[in-house]
Amino acid sequence: MDMNEIKEIFFQECEEQLAELESGLLKLNDGDRDPETVNAVFRAVHSIKGGAGAFGLDDLVSFAHVFETTLDCVRSNRLEPNQDVLKVMLKSADVLADLTNAARDGGSVDQARSRQLIKELEALASGELPQATAAEPTFKAAPTPVAAPPVNEEGFQPVAFSFEDFEADEPAVIEAPCYEIVFRPKSELYAKGNDATLLLRDLSRLGEMSIHCDMDGMPPLDRMNPEAAYFSWKISLKTDKGEEAIRSVFEFAEWDCDLDIALAGGCAVDASEELPMQPVPFDLSMLDEAPAGSAEEEEQFASRDRDAAVSAAGTASNVLQMAQSSTRAPAEAQRNTTAAASAAAQQAASAATPTIRVDLDRVDRLINLVGELVINQAMLSQSVIENDTNGTSSINMGLEELQQLTREIQDSVMAIRAQPVKPVFQRMSRIVREIADMTGKSVRLVTEGENTEVDKTVIDKLAEPLTHMIRNAVDHGLETPEKRLAAGKNAEGTVRLTAKHRSGRIVIELADDGAGINREKVRQKAIDNDLIAADANLSDEEVDNLIFHAGFSTADKISDISGRGVGMDVVKRSIQALGGRINISSKPGQGSIFTMSLPLTLAVLDGMVVTVANQTLVVPLTAIVETLQPEAAAIHSFGASQRLISIRNSFCPLVDVGRILNFRATQANPVEGVALLVESEGGGQRALMVDAIQGQRQVVIKSLEANYTHVPGIAAATILGDGRVALILDVDAIVAASRGQTLKPEMSLAAAG
Amino acid sequence: MASKKTAQKTLRLAPVLDLNEATALHEKLLALKGSAVAIDASAVERIGALCVQVLIAGARNWEEQQLSFTFAKVSDAFVKTTQLIGVDIDPLMAKEI
Amino acid sequence: MKKRVLTVDDSRTIRNMLLVTLNNAGFETIQAEDGVEGLEVLEEANPDVIVTDINMPRLDGFGFIEGVRKNDRYRAVPILVLTTESDAEKKNRARQAGATGWIVKPFDPTKLIDAIERVTA
Repeated sequence: MDMNEIKEIFFQECEEQLAELESGLLKLNDGDRDPETVNAVFRAVHSIKGGAGAFGLDDLVSFAHVFETTLDCVRSNRLEPNQDVLKVMLKSADVLADLTNAARDGGSVDQARSRQLIKELEALASGELPQATAAEPTFKAAPTPVAAPPVNEEGFQPVAFSFEDFEADEPAVIEAPCYEIVFRPKSELYAKGNDATLLLRDLSRLGEMSIHCDMDGMPPLDRMNPEAAYFSWKISLKTDKGEEAIRSVFEFAEWDCDLDIALAGGCAVDASEELPMQPVPFDLSMLDEAPAGSAEEEEQFASRDRDAAVSAAGTASNVLQMAQSSTRAPAEAQRNTTAAASAAAQQAASAATPTIRVDLDRVDRLINLVGELVINQAMLSQSVIENDTNGTSSINMGLEELQQLTREIQDSVMAIRAQPVKPVFQRMSRIVREIADMTGKSVRLVTEGENTEVDKTVIDKLAEPLTHMIRNAVDHGLETPEKRLAAGKNAEGTVRLTAKHRSGRIVIELADDGAGINREKVRQKAIDNDLIAADANLSDEEVDNLIFHAGFSTADKISDISGRGVGMDVVKRSIQALGGRINISSKPGQGSIFTMSLPLTLAVLDGMVVTVANQTLVVPLTAIVETLQPEAAAIHSFGASQRLISIRNSFCPLVDVGRILNFRATQANPVEGVALLVESEGGGQRALMVDAIQGQRQVVIKSLEANYTHVPGIAAATILGDGRVALILDVDAIVAASRGQTLKPEMSLAAAG
Repeated sequence: MASKKTAQKTLRLAPVLDLNEATALHEKLLALKGSAVAIDASAVERIGALCVQVLIAGARNWEEQQLSFTFAKVSDAFVKTTQLIGVDIDPLMAKEI
Repeated sequence: MKKRVLTVDDSRTIRNMLLVTLNNAGFETIQAEDGVEGLEVLEEANPDVIVTDINMPRLDGFGFIEGVRKNDRYRAVPILVLTTESDAEKKNRARQAGATGWIVKPFDPTKLIDAIERVTA
């Protein structure tokens, strides 16, 4: 693993932390005061800052720092996270996300916006804090209490000192000043895992050192506390590294010892003073940590150890001990590896659910192969059936099991690509905040069913249409606070985004409690735009669905937000491109509900296999309402080529699929075929006329675009059990074409990307 | 001399003499009170100041009791650490090998 | 004779950095994701030194340090705390909890190895 990979991990983690941050802030916004929520929010920012610091992402670090400082005020109850505070924090979370993206992908962020937010955050932090300790945008070492020496940026760099340096420096040492150091450790120093020996070791590396150990405080053996500090030391140290370096040796211990450092006049390196000073020899190599480095060094270390042991081995007990130590080594090594393995296992087990990260390409390759397997299995079954004269052979039973298994494998593989809609939903709350700000409306976004899972491709492609719809809902759907109050509503509007599974599809609902569709206005607009005749008799539902027509916009003025020429027609097209449907239902004064129904996967499809002009076609089952056998009496013709079929007292246009796809030049006789009643655009029903139904089956979708080119009226292709290629019908495009619109490439919609 | 030698007990020190070992070492020494002791420090890889304290307290106690308290064998690490922290163990070194 | 380091940090980024840095420096590294897990793996990790973060879910660094210091077998193990900037208050609390020393973030491999060498023999 190199730094770039870790950086990639960092950005992945940032995404998770940002999601955590936002959902935490939203919980706080809803009145959640659980300290763990505040902690989680704090940790998220803290963690981003930590990682960013390691990669030198200064913009990110400094913003995260200010943010963190303000969050710390909330954490320590110095700042009440009211709505105003959270508004700033949510915006800050957005900026943090922008900065993270800019750090990853390059590009710039809105500097003015982040500067403004830094000011606001600092104001929040300092509002409750007269000292304004938090208002420091760049982070410097906070002033340490007591007489702690200011540690420079390099930290304890000066301590680093090798003995080679020492020898080289030796002539200069004569001129080096001499320090008198009195070091009296407290018992706490040892209790915290420190040791006087280590500190003295580091001190000895600074220069030439003489030492006197003061044992006067030692009680008798039976009265001593073996864990109490009794020894203290007086040290003479000749060093040119300065007092700073000496103090930094004791940096970790300064609270747990008494330390006096004084520049001495003359150096008492010689043991001729009142106190017997022991010169400390240079060669302390045994005390050096095994220079944590190459295996070679370690080996040297080990062999030196062994040599020492051998030279000392005068007696049998020593030999025995040596033998013991050498047998201990492999045993320990083994124990270490098992310990590490079980630690790793435990680490994995302790996470909520263990996960692995897999390259998406690999999953897709697998999905493709499983698709081939399913096709192959179907072909095999078919040829066995065709060649099997005995009827019930054991091969048939085996094949049935194989079919079961392939189906299960397929489902499991599809589940790998399934992901919760949560990230998309979370992105929407930012959209709501931004548009609420721009329109001056007060909006609350409520999300439900965030953990509903759907294919990753669907999720990825959902964000854009959903963004348009949310903007639309806030901009056009919700009223201004004044109007809402006047209408007896809460000044704050609610947009509710829900996801759920329903009969093998995912249904996403976007509901607002706004004014609802102004049907009069929509109708008038449609008439003005020649979308409908002035005297057209349309149901409420049909009027509502007019907003999905291209270029339709009812806003009086084209607002900056939803009026960029991007209308609901684009939304509808994106949803359809995913093999989905979208509907609207609206109640004046109470709001509108957009309902999207999408397939869970784009890789397979339940279809009805039909014959049209000797061609085999697949019609997505989700589009079919019912099938019926037309009777001559039910067919009514009007105009040159239009025909209607009457179904239970209502008329439904008959669509000749073979004609529209140019499979034949003349109209087929409806009585000889089958009618598939389909629901399409705008909720209207059409009867698709086909020659015959072959059956229903799940088919593996093969993109035509990827393998050939886009064909109007055709969504994709598949391979049937008998090895033939069958085209999958794009029902909406066919229906649109039947309305007189020709099948133009840009009009037809592929169901599979 | 022979009787004295049988009375002498050997205390072998653990390789790592840290905070935890200080109490154990203290107890071991207390248990040996009344006998001459030869300390075998040949296995010592690491010794902290606390254990040195215990050993010095032991040496003083034995001295008061006029019993022999010697370091029979010492490792390099043991010698160097005691030198480093200014504790002179030379007088306690066993004179005959 | 590899020294064993137990690292406790909830950030995947920092965990990976610690792992790479420590492995490159010849340490054997065992990692835990929070204080609770840190205490759980303590026996198996059998560390010579511990490096821990402060802000962690479930059990933070202060609680973790206290837990280690209460463990009869591992209470003497040096513990280094990863802190962002020289936050005096946090250092103070970490020390009270029983931390041996600290490493000031942003994460710097040299600082990390230096600090580990200072508290280990």
